[in-house]
Amino acid sequence: MTLAAIDVEVRYEARVAVRATTVTLEPGALVALIGPNGAGKSTLLRALAGLVSHLGTVSWHGTALTGLDARARARTVAYLPQDPPVHWPLPVRELVALGRLPHRAYAAGESASDVGAVAAAMRLTDTVELAERNVSRLSVGERARVLLARALAVEAPVLLVDEPIAMLDPYHQLDVMSTLRDYTKGNRDGAKCRLVVAVLHDLGLAARFCDRVLLMNGGAIVGDGAPDAALGAAAIRAHYRVEPLIARYDGEPLVVPWRPLKP
Amino acid sequence: MSPTASAGRPWAVAAGLALLTIAAAAASLVVGRDGSGPTFGFGGPELADMILREIRAPRTLLAVLVGGTLGLCGAALQGLLRNPLAEPGLLGASSGAALGAVIVFYFGLGGASPLLLPLGAVGGSLLALAALYALAGRRGDFLTIVLAGIAINALAAALTSLALNFAPSPYAALEILFWMLGSLADRSLAHVYLAVPVMLPGWLLVAAAARGLDALTLGEDTAASLGFDPTRTQLLVIGGTALAVGGAVAVTGVVGFVGLVVPHLLRGVAGHHPSRLLAPCFLGGALLTTLADVAIRLMPPGPELKLGVVTALLGAPFFLHLVMRGPVRAA
Repeated sequence: MTLAAIDVEVRYEARVAVRATTVTLEPGALVALIGPNGAGKSTLLRALAGLVSHLGTVSWHGTALTGLDARARARTVAYLPQDPPVHWPLPVRELVALGRLPHRAYAAGESASDVGAVAAAMRLTDTVELAERNVSRLSVGERARVLLARALAVEAPVLLVDEPIAMLDPYHQLDVMSTLRDYTKGNRDGAKCRLVVAVLHDLGLAARFCDRVLLMNGGAIVGDGAPDAALGAAAIRAHYRVEPLIARYDGEPLVVPWRPLKP
Repeated sequence: MSPTASAGRPWAVAAGLALLTIAAAAASLVVGRDGSGPTFGFGGPELADMILREIRAPRTLLAVLVGGTLGLCGAALQGLLRNPLAEPGLLGASSGAALGAVIVFYFGLGGASPLLLPLGAVGGSLLALAALYALAGRRGDFLTIVLAGIAINALAAALTSLALNFAPSPYAALEILFWMLGSLADRSLAHVYLAVPVMLPGWLLVAAAARGLDALTLGEDTAASLGFDPTRTQLLVIGGTALAVGGAVAVTGVVGFVGLVVPHLLRGVAGHHPSRLLAPCFLGGALLTTLADVAIRLMPPGPELKLGVVTALLGAPFFLHLVMRGPVRAA
């Protein structure tokens, strides 16, 4: 059971946003997709989600995602864009339940597993008490957590999230990172191991919470490995153009961008 | 509120609206009009059967079917464009359909087959909506969409006026004017039979888009990631609206603003969930149109007001109110 991208390349007219990329991702891992602005992180994530036309193939467990019908694909790969719009002022619980659309037949009510998945997603994201609130009246951080709950409610074996913590305060940043990590480990009753790929900008949180780091620059993966290996000082200097402060605290890695390097 | 209660409420609203629509339809069968103003009942017993079958039944049926079409398509277009100001009339679908019907009539094509009239209207409606998409794009903001609608409406109205200008006879001019004003008066069951085969597949296409409209609540990327291709949803809603509105306009002319007012009024009671608004909006449109048509017959003596004129007189200020308030986001 792996998510495999083989020679995935994305072009926007003449510009190559993602160069031919081959990468294999196993469930049970929280994978950070990091890199400077314009590195092609979001585009690669969208290609993995099947949202942008690309060369090469993306397959899950040996089956090309393009070969699945749309709803089966949607049950396999969930995707959370960065700051997606919410066009109608729905109650929070109804919005989270939209994540169950790929599981529901036309005009069918919610099944027991739908109700369970929505409840579990809201518990994981600390949004249970918001259930009856109107989504248009939430704070930015509350909204981001509700949208994450929507993506978790799909209960897909693969979850792709684009900057899930950019809008959150430190408490909820830490909380969401551990939620994503728990989601991959199948800590919930009976849940299987899952794969989460998250585009992140916070190097410290990527180093602490993620099992594997994919570092992108110029449309290509330039670093791939455990955080200690992929987030070395040399790589950060070369690709982020910053001098990092790297240490350990409480047995965990501490990576802080310290000052920009002059060209 | 429990999840089942909030999910069940639109159906309770729909059931209530269905009962009210039946009551309004019954009133529409009983209320008539002669030169001296409103009448009630059917006159003499020998006339009753004929009045019911030839006059009131077709009029009532068309009010329900056309009103339902406008309410349903208004709700679906609002869901598709994620904009509470979308409506078949404002987006040019209705005036495009009227132009299509007028073209068929003007060139005497209706003689070849009566079905050409609704088909011409469907074609006009489809062209108008396609033009709207070309002008405003999939991601058009509300101002762009409304402006594109105004432009398409203006062009369709200009071409219809051109036909009116060159109308070969005063009789032909009156016929053309009929599609511009919109009315349920003097329709026969033949009109019902003409419209329904075009409207029905339109309703089904729109209904098939229901879950796709829900998914679009979170934008096109999320909709696609949930397994509902936005392009497919667009084709269903636009194709369905063109068919249903084309069929409606072919037999009743342009009846504006029903599709704008009804979803807006029903969001307060049925919620904002796009799919759960479709059935209530069909019924709400049927109810509103039937009531408006009954009200017309209750007016004092004089020339009968056209239905399209009444809905425009009531709907335009409502629209203005919504525009002044800006893009509606309140619960």
